[in-house]
Amino acid sequence: MGKIVFAAAMSHVLDPDYYQAACGLTGRRKVEACMAEIEKLGETLLARRPDALIVVADDHLNAFSFNAVPAICVRIGRYVNRMIQDEAEAFDKVLDGMPERYTLHEELANRILEDGLGAGFDLALSWEAPIDHAFLSPVMTMHGARPVTPLVPIWINCFVAPQPTPARCFAFGRHIARVVATSPWNVGLIATGGLSHFPELRLPRVGESDVVFDQKLLGWLAEGEHEPLRALTPAELDKAGEHEFLNWMTLIGAVTPARADVRYFGELGRINLAAVEWRVA
Amino acid sequence: MSRYEVNSLLYRLKKDRVFRARFNADPDGALAGLDLTDGERAAFRARDMERINALGGYLHLVMSVPGMAAHVTHTEPE
Repeated sequence: MGKIVFAAAMSHVLDPDYYQAACGLTGRRKVEACMAEIEKLGETLLARRPDALIVVADDHLNAFSFNAVPAICVRIGRYVNRMIQDEAEAFDKVLDGMPERYTLHEELANRILEDGLGAGFDLALSWEAPIDHAFLSPVMTMHGARPVTPLVPIWINCFVAPQPTPARCFAFGRHIARVVATSPWNVGLIATGGLSHFPELRLPRVGESDVVFDQKLLGWLAEGEHEPLRALTPAELDKAGEHEFLNWMTLIGAVTPARADVRYFGELGRINLAAVEWRVA
Repeated sequence: MSRYEVNSLLYRLKKDRVFRARFNADPDGALAGLDLTDGERAAFRARDMERINALGGYLHLVMSVPGMAAHVTHTEPE
């Protein structure tokens, strides 16, 4: 019988140079502190010898734009490539220098996809979509120079309205938990992005974050209070700059009612950086 | 407002190096034939990413098109 042996969520632009350029030495110091905690989470993950690592993250209009934008998409196949962006700027530059190809856990991805369709989740699938910093920045920070655990990348549409609801993402997380429980594998699960940044996705509001909203979310996570999270609306998330919390909602559904421990929370106007681990072991 | 046209143009500027070079050399020529409003066309010609974002251009695109990206910087308190 399979088990989720590790679950954590974390910010996903993990680049001290990016933060120093955007918001000075304070930004550099805070992301370095966040990354140090994510590296420790990587130690925990690998110590539990996972067979697969499910990564729930979002597309920054790189992989799916604009012939189709799936609400939820499972990456299947044997390998996935990282996104290649020539003359990369800003968050895209984080990918430069990372390996170009990563092994997938093909059978787990297929089960999540096929059983999901059978259970009423109209999931999209992709054999070709590349993965960007939302997946690889946390994965590589956690693994360092060690071999990368076979991945199951899953995209949630966090940015292109209309997005899936938090409750739907939570329900999909429950599905992931059922698939893992009936599998033979020990599985790690991470959700990436956030916390509060870029409210309403408006350029003049870059530099604003909602600390009060974040503290409310983290309080509920620490207490294992998941009902208020399921009641959140996409409009609330948009207003507070919590678009990527949809990824977290998927993880929360998979591990509920587990409580979480906040390993790092750092306030920046640019983005509130966070690293959180759930008690699943 | 044509959200699709604005964003597909941003996406092409980001991903298509040849088109990007053509736009940089001859913006009017590169934009010719696209189904943009006069306001959208003017915003791209001016490379005004804040205006393009206000017209429906997705934030992550206006912040990452090589050579045109809006770089917002701000000082954070200690």
